[in-house]
Amino acid sequence: MPAAALPGMPSQPRDDIDNTWNYLQNGITRIMLNLQEGVDLHTYMGIYTAVHNFCTSQKATGFTHATNVVGVGSSHRGAHLLGEDLYKKLTEYLTEHLKGLVVASKAHTDEALLAFYIREWQRYTVAAKYIHHLFRYLNRHWVKREMDEGKKNVYDVYTLHLVRWRDVLFTQVSSKVMDAVLKLVEKQRNGETIEYNQIKQVVESFVSLGLDEGDSSKTTLDVYRFHFERPFLEATKLFYQNESKQFVAENSVVEYMKKAEARLEEEEERVKLYLHPDIAIPLKKACNQVLIADHSNILRDEFQVLLDNDREEDMARMYSLLSRIPDGLDPLRTRFETHVRNAGLAAVAKVTSDADKLEPKVYVDALLEIHTQYQTLVKRAFNDEPEFTRSLDNACREFVNRNDVCKSGSNKSPELLAKYADLLLRKSSTGVEDAELESTLVQIMTVFKYIEDKDVFQKFYSRMLARRLVHSTSSSDDAEMSMIGKLKEACGFEYTNKLQRMFQDMQISKDLNAGFKEHLQTLGSKGLDSSYSILGTGFWPLQAPGTNFTPPEEIQADCERFTRFYKNKHEGRKLTWLWQLCKGDVKANYLKNAKMPYTFTVSVYQMAILLLFNEKDRNTYEELASTTQLNNEALDPSLGILLKARVLNMEGSDKVGPGATFSLNYDFKNKKYRLNLNMPMKSETKQEEIETNKTIEEDRKLLLQSAIVRIMKARKRMKHQQLVSETINQIRQRFVPKVSDIKKCIEILLDKEYLERLEDDDLGYLA
Amino acid sequence: MSADKSTQRVTLTSNENTNIEVDRVVAERSMLIKNLIEDLGDDVTSAPIPIPNVNDPVLRKVVEWCEHHRNDAVQSADDDNDSRKKTTDIDEWDQKFMQVDQEMLFEIILAANYLDIKALLDVGCKTVANMIKGKSPEEIRKTFNITNDFTPEEEEQIRRENEWAEDR
Repeated sequence: MPAAALPGMPSQPRDDIDNTWNYLQNGITRIMLNLQEGVDLHTYMGIYTAVHNFCTSQKATGFTHATNVVGVGSSHRGAHLLGEDLYKKLTEYLTEHLKGLVVASKAHTDEALLAFYIREWQRYTVAAKYIHHLFRYLNRHWVKREMDEGKKNVYDVYTLHLVRWRDVLFTQVSSKVMDAVLKLVEKQRNGETIEYNQIKQVVESFVSLGLDEGDSSKTTLDVYRFHFERPFLEATKLFYQNESKQFVAENSVVEYMKKAEARLEEEEERVKLYLHPDIAIPLKKACNQVLIADHSNILRDEFQVLLDNDREEDMARMYSLLSRIPDGLDPLRTRFETHVRNAGLAAVAKVTSDADKLEPKVYVDALLEIHTQYQTLVKRAFNDEPEFTRSLDNACREFVNRNDVCKSGSNKSPELLAKYADLLLRKSSTGVEDAELESTLVQIMTVFKYIEDKDVFQKFYSRMLARRLVHSTSSSDDAEMSMIGKLKEACGFEYTNKLQRMFQDMQISKDLNAGFKEHLQTLGSKGLDSSYSILGTGFWPLQAPGTNFTPPEEIQADCERFTRFYKNKHEGRKLTWLWQLCKGDVKANYLKNAKMPYTFTVSVYQMAILLLFNEKDRNTYEELASTTQLNNEALDPSLGILLKARVLNMEGSDKVGPGATFSLNYDFKNKKYRLNLNMPMKSETKQEEIETNKTIEEDRKLLLQSAIVRIMKARKRMKHQQLVSETINQIRQRFVPKVSDIKKCIEILLDKEYLERLEDDDLGYLA
Repeated sequence: MSADKSTQRVTLTSNENTNIEVDRVVAERSMLIKNLIEDLGDDVTSAPIPIPNVNDPVLRKVVEWCEHHRNDAVQSADDDNDSRKKTTDIDEWDQKFMQVDQEMLFEIILAANYLDIKALLDVGCKTVANMIKGKSPEEIRKTFNITNDFTPEEEEQIRRENEWAEDR
């Protein structure tokens, strides 16, 4: 092919390496050193063509084999590709050029060196891209063949440039460049403004030099990591070690935390601004180590001070700092738990100067206040972290179940909580708003969650619910249902079953009364204006009265009518009259000087007493006792209230009892025409509490036994120890059982032959 | 960019000093020209680009091929997948395009190699391969006008070494 020589192109023969190289070197030098002046079209095409022509010449020097156009060579390797000489020449040229740069670099230090390095790097890499293109023919054929054959140390022309840079220049100057980089960064850390773009370019250069020896098309970060990242991290550590040591010595811990926080943020910014993203994690780790972990002890010591002074913002800062290091927060959580527990105990101690007179509301409010305070802290300062919430829960459980109040009896907490609930749900003059009531019930549930003896709460709650229902003193059905719903959600169906049944009984009774009224109307008989409640024995925590009683005739008659009516409907059911819970209204027609008759709401016992005065104005104690059949425990307080209200007068004795005579007070006066004389009897309430506590122990035994039987029925055979721990697991939601109690219950079940002893400490289930 | 790439024109000068004007995208089928424009800037296209190794008829032929294939997907440098290498199928237009005398065929191949137009180089080589396929050494020699300069001993040795490739 005839070639029209471009100006200055090597003349024939085109396979002469020296001729060719002389021509190429001129062009390459121009590209290397004066690219800003531009390369003209002819030079560009000239160099490309010279490379092409050299590589396609048929008899290049240095090769002994002849090549054949069609490619059937005499060598087994096939066609020879020419180019090795060019490659070698280029390599030598680059090496010389770079050696020159190394010498030149010695004239510069610090920022000037950085500028020099970057300037030369950019000039070199831009030139490399040109030369890569101009030597494309060499790349496509000779280089490709060498690489395909697995030759090491042969690279495409661009990569060759990088390799030469790395091997000749980089090894000589990289540490000096890095020193300059680190000095610059230190300046910036000390508050000076720097040309950070220089650093960014150095990073890019170092990264570019990470050539994968196995595959030249890939890069690795090895060079960058070793020559940049490693010294950078070391310098960072050293800088902050010194700075933090000095700062801590001269400032408060709180000030230090602010400083550390600012520094950590700054370093994150630094990565974004001019570092390689690869350094983000190790840099963060290094900073966390020197800024936080190395000072974690003094930070943690400060935590107690912050807690004591409610320094929420500073605690949040401490949290975020310590959360950055492994296991940084554990000691904080421990301290937090102890602190909350002590705060709770102190709050309780403050309100319990006298445990017996403690108002349920005051007590529950004291518990809630501490809980709310620290729950807020967890939310605001500790990121609402579950681990901290757990610490809070542990602390609350401790101070709710084991505080000063509980010393007098471990049942005190659930009892007071139930009483508070009763207070809220009872009709009262203060009248809590619905919305407020609901939120207060939610608060009760917060405390309830921490109560260990949930069965005690249940006992008291059901007793008080019974009283509210029987006396119709409940403030609203909706509120009652909402509370039962909450308990059900917390403890399950079984826990609230009886409470719900009590509610149902009241509803059924309502319908029953309506039916009874209708029944009386059809009979045409006119009874009392009466209403009856039928309460299922198993569900209501009520006992038969502790005294005999003969009701007044009027009532007796009505009761008998109702009994017949009921038995007719439900055959075989036994009715027990709970006289102590009955009440009624009586009208006092005997007071002539009153504008209108007084109405007294009285217990049925009081009613029986008062009705006796219809026959005569004076009755002795003995007469009253024998007619009503009441024992003195029921009779005395009933009379006491009537005396106190001055409905009756007493003579013949100082105190109610045998020998006293009672007479109707015709001069009775009161501002109100309607009086409630049906006061709960003190002795009865006290009695009830004692009863309740007694039944708890009994019920617990049954609960334990049924749990044990349930487990054994499922497992058939179990080790003693295993059974005990499994039982604890099952019962824990109700109360915390004692191991000795469980063992006792197992003994009982062995005696009753529900269980049998087998060899090897095993227990078996007997169906 | 000084002008819209799609409407830009480029002038190529053959070694016989004739000019051929083509669309830039057509010229850029050649990696050489593509890199050149990339390196020297768009303004370089205002002057004719000398193509010192290609004469006028061959350059025109090459340009014809590039015009036809102007919209083909550009092959990446490493796209040496085996199927393309092995198959000797050539599309119809290219077959017709390659129906030229032997000298022109080799000139096209050399120009494609020089200008770095991989797809054209492949088509050229495949065409030659198809000319060889199924022929005896003697027929091949005749086709390409090659004088046999092997001694009988050399020929025997080569046959033995390549026995594995023979159809039997």
